[in-house]
Amino acid sequence: MTVRVQFWSYFKDLAGCAETTATLADGATIADLLKDVYARFPQLAAAEKSTLIAVGVDYQPHTYKLNDGDEVSLFPPVQGG
Amino acid sequence: MTRSLTLTTAPLDEAVLLAQRTMSTGMGAAVYFAGVVRGTEGDNAISAINYEAFEQMVRHQFDLIFDQLEKRWTLESVRVVHRLGVVKVGEPSLWVEIVSPHRGEAFAACQFLIDEMKRSVPIWKRPLK
Repeated sequence: MTVRVQFWSYFKDLAGCAETTATLADGATIADLLKDVYARFPQLAAAEKSTLIAVGVDYQPHTYKLNDGDEVSLFPPVQGG
Repeated sequence: MTRSLTLTTAPLDEAVLLAQRTMSTGMGAAVYFAGVVRGTEGDNAISAINYEAFEQMVRHQFDLIFDQLEKRWTLESVRVVHRLGVVKVGEPSLWVEIVSPHRGEAFAACQFLIDEMKRSVPIWKRPLK
């Protein structure tokens, strides 16, 4: 399956792009996706502990099972206000 | 509870927002909060902050917060306005209005809304020198 990954805030600077796609095995979780992303964008791995993850517009844990066509967002802690 | 969220790149006109307030006769409290851009970020002087938002998710996460407000307190209305893009020092970036029968729930709801926003609403700041 293929998922779209969007980077927000300074994660775009770290990745050098605003988005990418990842091809994963069926049944893959967000944890599997992160392994793929960190292998290709190692600059993002240093921020792993504080990284927030959403699928669509909802936060999801590392155990979340992805589906083909999902849009995943990775971003640093939020700072509104 | 009526709810209103505005995301805008235009400067906030607090007088206009205040003039748009509506309160039914059973309401006795209107609490306001304005978040204003400070002239420093850490130890460094700045001239402005550039706000970036994942807008679709911002709207959804605010809806979830509004749902929680509705469950916890008796409120007549909530209005939130958040600036996006470049906001200069001294200008408000966030404006909140809570209308309720009594002050206690209005203050509590306002505090809760802002705390939750800072925890879950995907907006980020980039200070500009």
